[in-house]
Amino acid sequence: MTDLSVSMSAAGGLPQAPMLPEAPAKVTVRNLNFYYGEHHALKNINLALGTNRVTAFIGPSGCGKSTLLRIFNRMYDLYPGQRVTGQLMLDQTNILDPKLDLNLLRARVGMVFQKPTPFPMTIYENIAFGIRLYEKISKSEMDDRVEKALRGGALWNEVKDKLNASGLSLSGGQQQRLCIARTVAVRPEVILFDEPCSALDPISTAKVEELIQELSENYTIAIVTHNMQQAARVSDKTAFMYLGELIEFDDTSKIFTSPTDRRTQDYITGRFG
Amino acid sequence: MAVQSDVIDDAGPYDRAKALSAFKLGDVTFYWITRLSAISVLLILGGIILSLIVGAFPAMKEYGFAFLWTQRWAPSADPPVLGALGPMYGTLVTSFIAMLIAIPVGLGIAIFLTELCPQWLRRPIGMAIELLAGIPSIIYGMWGFFVLGPFLANTFQPFMIKIFDGVPVLGAIFAGPPSYLSLFNAALILAIMVLPFITSISVDVFKTVPPVLKEAAYGVGCTTWEVVRSVVIPYTRVGIIGGVMLALGRALGETMAVSFIIGNSFRISSSIFAPGTTISAAIASEFAESDGLHQSGLILLGLLLFVLTFFVLAGARLMLMRLEKKAGN
Repeated sequence: MTDLSVSMSAAGGLPQAPMLPEAPAKVTVRNLNFYYGEHHALKNINLALGTNRVTAFIGPSGCGKSTLLRIFNRMYDLYPGQRVTGQLMLDQTNILDPKLDLNLLRARVGMVFQKPTPFPMTIYENIAFGIRLYEKISKSEMDDRVEKALRGGALWNEVKDKLNASGLSLSGGQQQRLCIARTVAVRPEVILFDEPCSALDPISTAKVEELIQELSENYTIAIVTHNMQQAARVSDKTAFMYLGELIEFDDTSKIFTSPTDRRTQDYITGRFG
Repeated sequence: MAVQSDVIDDAGPYDRAKALSAFKLGDVTFYWITRLSAISVLLILGGIILSLIVGAFPAMKEYGFAFLWTQRWAPSADPPVLGALGPMYGTLVTSFIAMLIAIPVGLGIAIFLTELCPQWLRRPIGMAIELLAGIPSIIYGMWGFFVLGPFLANTFQPFMIKIFDGVPVLGAIFAGPPSYLSLFNAALILAIMVLPFITSISVDVFKTVPPVLKEAAYGVGCTTWEVVRSVVIPYTRVGIIGGVMLALGRALGETMAVSFIIGNSFRISSSIFAPGTTISAAIASEFAESDGLHQSGLILLGLLLFVLTFFVLAGARLMLMRLEKKAGN
């Protein structure tokens, strides 16, 4: 145990956030199994994402955490040969219902990817594009919405004078915040972050983490990360996954101080992974 | 031991320098071979232009710039009267109609193949497209003459003529009578011939769109159509235009199939169902029995095609540059 606490303090200390009361579940996962063809990638997952909480998913590469995230917005549907069994509810909506309108689901469950993915258009259009898919609003309303989204993405001050420049002309960190702003602009309920900082420098990473904390006031957030300090800093709950199984799921402070499973402890102390 | 190392020390630098100089010779040879290959392109191009100009000179001297806007083509008159307006008009109109048909269809096939097609259907369609590119143009010509021409003249043409009868402008474009040999038939054959270029290049560039970018677009709730229109096509714009240019170059210069079915008439008609001619078809059908001023006139036509193609391609490149500026990179 001494070993563990030493490595934790070296890693930037324990999360400072006060303990929050247990939140009502926004997304509920029951007995979820996932298959890539024959490969059984997720085995009997059970957990819940609390409303307006940040849930972090950690685990070694290939443990299925990104796979789980991609089920939440049915992104796996784009590819043949991938299937899922079990139950997955977003409030009262069955996400796995084959008749579900995927476009509406993805408006409710937004996603930010590992690599920044600005669309090949101007900064303004990158934001307005998503809004236009769902709403017909006037130019001045659209201007407001774009500004609000960019402020929400902590990017407004940097781009307000060049809204007509290409989204691709921004730096990597700015592009990622643009993608977050774009996701927020559609007014989702849940935002999925798939290793959002792995391609970013430390300063951009800090900005994105701060943003995630702010967003958690209004959105339910799930974040996959390889960076354990990041999980400790931003999340309320942490799920440790290993070889397609959910090993441990608890309050972040508990996972990082007194994990109950031996494998969790080994992973967060850096013995494997 | 000492003796051995002495030998190596003695031989080492010597051998090394020799080996290096051999490499150097190879390098120099390689440099000159590649350089000459590159220069030969310029020489061949220059030679072709020069011989075209020399061959066309008598006709240029005789007709001057009036060659460009004279419609009459009477090589057996005395002296022969030659004008390029008919073939130039035919070349531009057939290529334009061909692109009008081939671009949407070709892009449509490419989008279907990359975004929508079930896996098992991909290979058959892809192979069919490639086979289409492999058919010799003379076969397209024969097929157009014996099958497509009669078919169009009996079905599509009367239908269009009837619909647009009396409508201003369109009525003149789709005016009768139906004909086996017409600008429109040639354009349709051209469209089929250039389709594989547009499709296969578009498929290749569509595959370069990062999957995560498409996922991001699906992730904000786009439908497949919205992803293609707003992400895939803008992302691959340059490649698509490249494919279209290649197809346009082919359409402008295509000879054999066109001369079979275009009717070889130098008269300009407002109707696309009337026979016409293109520059290359005119040259192909008359060159064998031409001499003197007539032959020189045909060479001048060839030079015009050269210049026309150059300007069309240059114009397309300019358009591309403007597009890129507008997109903000």
